[in-house]
Amino acid sequence: MSAPAPLTPALPTLALRGIRKEYPGVVALDQVDLDVYPHEVLGLVGENGAGKSTLMKVMIGLVRPDTGSMALNDEPLVLLDPIQAVEHGIGMVFQEGCLIPNLTILESLFLCHELQFRRRGLLSRRAMREEAQRVLGQLRLQVDVETPVDEASPAVRQMVEIARLLWLSTLYRQQNPILILDEPTTVLNDEERATLFETLQTLKQRASVIFISHRLQEVVENADRIVILKDGRNVAELVGAEAQAARIEELMVGHTFAADRYREHEQYAPGTEVVLEVRGLSKTKAFAPLSFSVRRGEIVSLVGLVGSGKESVCRCINGLERPDAGAVYLGGEPIRAGSPSEAVRRGIGHVPVDRRSEGLALAMSVAENINLLVLDQLKVAGFLAPRLETRNARKWIDGCRIKTPSTRSLCATLSGGNQQKTVIAKWLSSRVKALVLDHPTRGVDVGAKDEIYRILRGLARDGVGMLVMCDTLEEDIGLSNRLLIMKDGRLVKEVDCAPDRKPTPRDVIQHIV
Amino acid sequence: MATATNSSTNGEGTGVGWWRRLRISPKYIPMALLTLVACAFAIGNPNFISPYNINTILVYAAPLLMVALGQMCAILVGGIDLSVGGMISFISCLFVVMVPRIGAWAYLLCLIVGVVLGTINGLVLTRVRIPSFIATLGTGGILASMSMLLAPVPVNVPASHQGLLVVVTGSYLGIDNSLYVGAAVFLLFYVILRFLPQGRQLFYVGSNIRMAWTSGVNEARIRTLAFLLSGLGSALAALALSASQFGSNPYLGTPFVLASIATVVVGGTALTGGAGGPFNTLFGALMMSMLQNGMNVVGVDQYFQQSILGLMIIICVGLTFDRSKTPVIK
Amino acid sequence: MMPLDSHPAEAPAPSDWSFEELRRRFRRTGVSGQILTLAIVVLVFAAGTAGRFLSVPNLQAILSDFGIPAIVAIGLHQAIILGAIDLSVEGIAGMCIVLVGLLVRNKYNQGDIGLWILPVVVAAGALGGLANSLVITRLRIPSFISTLGMSWTLYGLAIYVNKATTIPLLDERVHDFVVGRVGGVPNIALLAVAIALAVQVLEDHTRFGRYIYAIGGDELLAGQAGVRVNRIKMQVFTLAGAFYGLCALFIAAQLGSAHPRMGNNQLFPAVTAVSVGGVALTGGVGGARNAILGALIVSALNNGLVLMHVNPFIQQAVNGVVLITAVAVTMDRSKLGFIK
Repeated sequence: MSAPAPLTPALPTLALRGIRKEYPGVVALDQVDLDVYPHEVLGLVGENGAGKSTLMKVMIGLVRPDTGSMALNDEPLVLLDPIQAVEHGIGMVFQEGCLIPNLTILESLFLCHELQFRRRGLLSRRAMREEAQRVLGQLRLQVDVETPVDEASPAVRQMVEIARLLWLSTLYRQQNPILILDEPTTVLNDEERATLFETLQTLKQRASVIFISHRLQEVVENADRIVILKDGRNVAELVGAEAQAARIEELMVGHTFAADRYREHEQYAPGTEVVLEVRGLSKTKAFAPLSFSVRRGEIVSLVGLVGSGKESVCRCINGLERPDAGAVYLGGEPIRAGSPSEAVRRGIGHVPVDRRSEGLALAMSVAENINLLVLDQLKVAGFLAPRLETRNARKWIDGCRIKTPSTRSLCATLSGGNQQKTVIAKWLSSRVKALVLDHPTRGVDVGAKDEIYRILRGLARDGVGMLVMCDTLEEDIGLSNRLLIMKDGRLVKEVDCAPDRKPTPRDVIQHIV
Repeated sequence: MATATNSSTNGEGTGVGWWRRLRISPKYIPMALLTLVACAFAIGNPNFISPYNINTILVYAAPLLMVALGQMCAILVGGIDLSVGGMISFISCLFVVMVPRIGAWAYLLCLIVGVVLGTINGLVLTRVRIPSFIATLGTGGILASMSMLLAPVPVNVPASHQGLLVVVTGSYLGIDNSLYVGAAVFLLFYVILRFLPQGRQLFYVGSNIRMAWTSGVNEARIRTLAFLLSGLGSALAALALSASQFGSNPYLGTPFVLASIATVVVGGTALTGGAGGPFNTLFGALMMSMLQNGMNVVGVDQYFQQSILGLMIIICVGLTFDRSKTPVIK
Repeated sequence: MMPLDSHPAEAPAPSDWSFEELRRRFRRTGVSGQILTLAIVVLVFAAGTAGRFLSVPNLQAILSDFGIPAIVAIGLHQAIILGAIDLSVEGIAGMCIVLVGLLVRNKYNQGDIGLWILPVVVAAGALGGLANSLVITRLRIPSFISTLGMSWTLYGLAIYVNKATTIPLLDERVHDFVVGRVGGVPNIALLAVAIALAVQVLEDHTRFGRYIYAIGGDELLAGQAGVRVNRIKMQVFTLAGAFYGLCALFIAAQLGSAHPRMGNNQLFPAVTAVSVGGVALTGGVGGARNAILGALIVSALNNGLVLMHVNPFIQQAVNGVVLITAVAVTMDRSKLGFIK
């Protein structure tokens, strides 16, 4: 802990009560409460999908909750947009930053609030520069304010955003602004991280900071209080001695493990034949050289937090990104890197995380989407045969139990689960040898999830090797034969997940964070 | 930061929101409106639906249909071909100049030139990676001036060779040959788009290019193909026009940029790509021709007609543009 | 959804890194690249014409040719900084030329408002630009098709009103200004430079100017920071229209007569000028000084080609190639995923 935990005063600066937010198919937040006290650093932790980012979006007015209330200094607060939130002293520094790349640091600091720098009708850059030096000086940041944002380092950009929020809060006369820092340390090196933590202590004197991070040790060392979310609900609040990384991990993932939710009884024990192999694959700034293999009929889960590099690994396997070293092998033969069409031709499929923007042609029919990869096989005398097309589509619609009134219905009219099944059907139709699935059950209702597990189990029996990344650790464990754990760009551990000897999330989480 | 995502989009997202309540897809509105206009013309002047007038409408529609089918291919993949004007001018002048020299081979030559020019457009788009509207603006300008190089003054096919033009100017069974040619071209494009995998891939690329790319479709090749087809359409139109007029001039193609885009858009093909097809364009060509004919019959000034076309394009694009595809409208 | 789409859609075939770096620098520096290009153009043609290129009458010709396209380019470039485009100059200019034909003393009617034509034509052009902006912001139609459609619409109207007749103008005053010189330098060029300076100040030292760059950099983020995006867009297109109207007056005055067709062939050189000047189509970079330098380069280039007796139609081809090259070099491809 950073300093002896301050005596929490009775009145929180910001109080959220009973926040609920639901999206089609998923409840993001369920009766969540949160208090933010003055002059504190509050740590917020939880797995991916626990609800942290949705809660923060509610706090800054980006998202309106379905039910629940907010109060600022005991007065009810309704936020219509992030600008209003900033006017009330609540602001967020996103992980990727919100600065406009072609503006200078100077302009970004004061964007939309330049009136006070007007001299004789024109903006006085000199006045702006002076104020900028002063504001940045408070955070002990030395930088040329005329640098364009896209030439500044992520650390500098972060500081500029923090400085802007502070300056705005002074402008709007907010006594104790609330600054939300979302995974600020992911883009920083060690030295910059240390500077950030020092800055946190300075910030504490005039603001409250909500610090979101998956690096539990950092949170433990810098936060006064730690709030843990899981599955969109409050789980615990820890202060003082209780706040130990191990305890936090435990609370983050819970103890329960629903039996057979992932059709474990159908889990197929793969043979020894390797279908997909990765040797010495690496990409600078994404992941260090790693090697692993997936056998025929095996489901391997890539597990890790944001920033672990797992998404990049999958993209390299699918040819969407070019690795800097190493190669991908299918059935023992190497695959040319950086070419999705080559990967597809050889038999590696890709079920993307965002089916609407990457998985389907929504304005086209179910049949057209399913048949996309096999058009050459549906020809008679060189021309596409509607009869064969319908037959193929019907076969996979039935096989995957896609609920659609007709093969010619537009994909846009399907539910999320059925859309996802359509994407999978497309790959099944082309008889892939290996399939990479990026969060295959995201945004899908419970019934459809079960059907997707059934399809995946069937694929395993047919000898397809699968590499998955799931939404929850439970799903990863339940679905797969093996876990490959990645952390900070490295493959750190392999955990076996045989159906009768599944590890609990608790066992695994310690390797992840 | 994402904008507040409180509304769930249903993925269709075409056109202006308030039409959704009527449950009519907005892309049918242009057709509906124009059908009404057609009826109005017919009521206003019974000559409008006389066989002679219908024939006039169809004959005018034929070359328009050809260039519009090509333009449709470019638009289907999410681009646009602003070079059709220059291409038609250039190829028609080329045809007229070459017919006396190489006879019927001039047909083949012009088709090949059209295909090559279209491919060049496609390559500038996919290899040099410049947006199609700028690339084709550039190539169109170059072609327009090259047609003036070829034929500084209007040129005619000498009487000795006019027999070669009978494939367009003659008639068979009482119907102008140009209609047969138009129908054949329509059939060609229909078969390509409906029954060839590459044609289907045009739609995938236009509908969701990222998905197409990750699914292994060679999007560069498909988009080049789309512009190749556009070049082909322009070439066919150029041949039909110069044959039917027994000659050409370097400005022949100029009105066709506007006309072809209007035809495609009015027919219900969205500029965003991936939606629409040959039948839409056929309908659009018939409507445009009928509109033009009707306006002439009713006595609307020729230049005012251009304004009407311009407005129609704006309105039809407004109705069919799929705004869910881009977060900001630039 | 992530702010600042920092992983732009991985477009296929990423280009060589160092070439991309070179292009970034080219784009960012104010005008050093353009000055270099101008120097090269001047040198090449000075050599090719054995010095005739640099003779005083020829330099004057270059400057007087560059005036009107320069003003069009200044009008056009702000829309491009926004990340949009304005293809409506021919329609708006056509319409304003018709107004000139109607209202300035001429052979066909009683119009004679003398120098009042100046505010009238600027206002009319501004109205045209305003109409553009409304179609873009309210009807939410992309700028390239809305300005193109608007251009066709206005042009048709112009010809319709004007009945396609060329109206000789009798009031000489604006004509005298356009062809006149001060200290040997054509007035129109001086005016163009003055306008460019004023607009540059607007871009560097007013909120309006900075917001244009913000929108060009990232429209979503700008809106969320509080920039009134629609209002800025309206102002930009209206201002552009005003400039086109002004040019319409000068075009008509220069030729001594009014016909809407005279506004044609203004779009292509202006877009070329803006691109050559370094205003990237992707938006967010460039300024009035880029537009005007680009216009100067294009003007010098065409002048040189004429002096060297290059076939006029080859000239047009060269311009086409220059346009494509300039766009290819200045575009920031990391901003767009797949280029359509």
